[in-house]
Amino acid sequence: MFTWTRESGSGRPRKMTSNNKEKASRRSASQWAVAWRRFKRNKPGVIGLTMVIILFLFPLFEFAFTQLGWIFPARPDPAAYTFFYEIPPKIRQPPSLENLFKQPFRFTGIFGTTSIGSDVLSDMIHAAKYTLYVGILVTAITMALSVAVGATAGFFGGWVDNVLMRIAEVFLVFPSLLLILVFVRIFTLTVGEPFWTIPPFNIQIPTGLTIVIVVVAIFNWGSNARMIRGEFLRIRELEFVEAERALGAGNGRIIFRHILPNVLSSVIVVSSLTIAYAILLEAAVSFLGFGDVNTITWGQILQENFGDARVVWWAEFFPGLAILFSVFAFNLLGDGLSDALNPRLRE
Amino acid sequence: MAMALDRIRHLSLKNIAKYFVHGLAFSILFLVLSFVWVFVSAFFTTIGGIIGFIIGLVLLFLLVGFANSLVTSYLWFEVRYGFWDLFIHGFVLFAILFVVNIAITVVAASVISGIAATLVAFVIGSFVEGFVGRQVASWWSEKYAAQTTLKRFLGSSMFRYIARRLLYMIPLFIGISIISFFIMYAAGDPINIIKVGRPQITQETLDALREYYGLDKPIPIQYINWLSNLVQGNFGKSLYGGRPVNLLIGNWFWETVKLQLVSVLLAFFIAIPIGVNSAKKQYSKQDIAVTSVSLFGVSMPTFWLGLLLIILFSFNLGWLPSEGAYGRPYLWWGNPILDEIAHLILPVTVLVYVMLAQNVRLIRANMLEILRSDYILSARASGLSERTIIYKYALKNAISPVITYLGVSLGAIIAGAPMTEYTFNWPGLGRRFVDAATRLDFPVVMGITMIITVMTLVANLIVDISYVYMDPRIRLR
Repeated sequence: MFTWTRESGSGRPRKMTSNNKEKASRRSASQWAVAWRRFKRNKPGVIGLTMVIILFLFPLFEFAFTQLGWIFPARPDPAAYTFFYEIPPKIRQPPSLENLFKQPFRFTGIFGTTSIGSDVLSDMIHAAKYTLYVGILVTAITMALSVAVGATAGFFGGWVDNVLMRIAEVFLVFPSLLLILVFVRIFTLTVGEPFWTIPPFNIQIPTGLTIVIVVVAIFNWGSNARMIRGEFLRIRELEFVEAERALGAGNGRIIFRHILPNVLSSVIVVSSLTIAYAILLEAAVSFLGFGDVNTITWGQILQENFGDARVVWWAEFFPGLAILFSVFAFNLLGDGLSDALNPRLRE
Repeated sequence: MAMALDRIRHLSLKNIAKYFVHGLAFSILFLVLSFVWVFVSAFFTTIGGIIGFIIGLVLLFLLVGFANSLVTSYLWFEVRYGFWDLFIHGFVLFAILFVVNIAITVVAASVISGIAATLVAFVIGSFVEGFVGRQVASWWSEKYAAQTTLKRFLGSSMFRYIARRLLYMIPLFIGISIISFFIMYAAGDPINIIKVGRPQITQETLDALREYYGLDKPIPIQYINWLSNLVQGNFGKSLYGGRPVNLLIGNWFWETVKLQLVSVLLAFFIAIPIGVNSAKKQYSKQDIAVTSVSLFGVSMPTFWLGLLLIILFSFNLGWLPSEGAYGRPYLWWGNPILDEIAHLILPVTVLVYVMLAQNVRLIRANMLEILRSDYILSARASGLSERTIIYKYALKNAISPVITYLGVSLGAIIAGAPMTEYTFNWPGLGRRFVDAATRLDFPVVMGITMIITVMTLVANLIVDISYVYMDPRIRLR
């Protein structure tokens, strides 16, 4: 077992054997490997990552759960309302801990039923995919916008910077939740089809939810753009950029090949926090009654049962817990990533 | 401490009587002078329209300043009588007394009723007027610099800083107003909203409505009309009920302010000891508990926390009201004031928990950084007690970022109110905004958006200015 290393001074590689003591400490590692090693030591970050992975398992195995009969099918299907069609129709509360293992164990019903008689657990598992859809798509759009604006403003400076930052400030000063509510309401009035179907796999994309996502993304890029602009301003003054320019590199090459990789760690950290924020915001929009009524999200379940909260408290408790779980997961992950990727910021 | 003691010693029986006399004399003088002023300003307003009105306003401030200067120079010390001195003096005093008098009257009227309330309000009001009047007048007393106040202010770097910030606000304001205005056109013709659900409506009615709301003119003209109305305080009429929007907002605004003010103050003052203690013992059990609970608070959906509290404390235990700001006709705890407090408890708890989480994280992080700095080390070396070091030297620098954060997040705080206000059915700005947005009542939506945004802008400005006073290390650019 041996590795090739380059000795300082001579250009010739020297063969090193495994009994060389310096081997372990000299082993080269990429920036990402170092970050991963640092991340693994950070207990909250690892817990966050585990929670995020658990979150991704639900949409992955949703189909399997439904086929196995562990949960009921998704909402428009009449079979989803099984409890309601029981005779006599009945709203069920979750079983107490003693009763849970007395009768033959079933997943359905352990979180009770909603006020219209569908199973809370099934609804929550079907809604998990939309939560992740919201979080990821909002973050993708927001980050694309803010990287574009922040990079342009930070790199070119001058009047471009001034104009772009004034525009960003307009979006920062606005109370975004209020505008999101109005615009979501206006645009959802004009929705025709509740779902777009993408042919090859028959994937159904909810139209109303996508409108919510786009509006949320458009009103939230301001602060991220500012942060990225700051990073660009800092890095473009460094010597290696000057060296690259002296070698004759154009603006595009400097931005994409040299500055952007340096900003990438900040972008990743902020993305994770933005996912958490987007999930929270979408839940709020749905809870206030502006969400997509054709799609079942956690916030939507809260909204549907809000009026009957005195009776069906469990239909408010468990979906809210799921929102808290996912937001907490992404926040923990973001904190862990920020410790691992930006060691400068650590105490 | 010494200054506070001076203040207390200053309040001898003789001085209290003097303050009372000051307030009384000021009131009488103001009453007599304002009797004249009513006629003069009415004359100017009929002659000169808006310009005449402004002249009348200037006269009012001059008059207030003059009355107070006169009383002060007889009772206490000499005061300068220049035009700008009197004007600024009058303006400041008028603004303070306006708020203070309303507050005293409202509080007195809510505690006791009838003629006694008026009497008590008069006595307390006179004393407060005298006290405030002397304080304000002392800024224009002869012992202050030889320069006039205005000249001193205009020459300062502070003035240039404020002027630049105000200039920066102009494009911001234009952008905000454009977006606020085009909310109405985001879905095409706003008249179509009226048509939804009313198939029997005729074209003539639609045209009449279009003319009534001024929607028949070209869009840029509409925008300019809207903006010029807005600057004059005219926000248009609600599409539902036709009541003027500024009156509606005026009613809702105070409910939101009441809720938010209580929670912001509570969150601020509770956060200080918690943040300081957990920074003092970094990585102790207490610190780890505090940080994880506050990370939890950052991730918490506010509305869900509110729901849980409602389910527990009002549905199951029946201790507290579940919705609204007032319990009429049934009063909680049997008294109007206790009733309001009972209604405040749950929403304030929710808001405080969320804000507390942010504030504690900020204070802890700042405190950790400051406790490692050199000046704290030298304070320790000179043998000061730990309490003095932390609360007198370190805290001052640790708090200023929190105040900045509060100012910057004012918009977010008020914009986050819809969630809490909706959960508790609180009759504030946020709850009404949700209603208005649901039925697309454009004038109300536009009005509330503009008010909140402008308030955020002004709060940012005030925070930036006060930051300069709090932290002398900051240079004005």
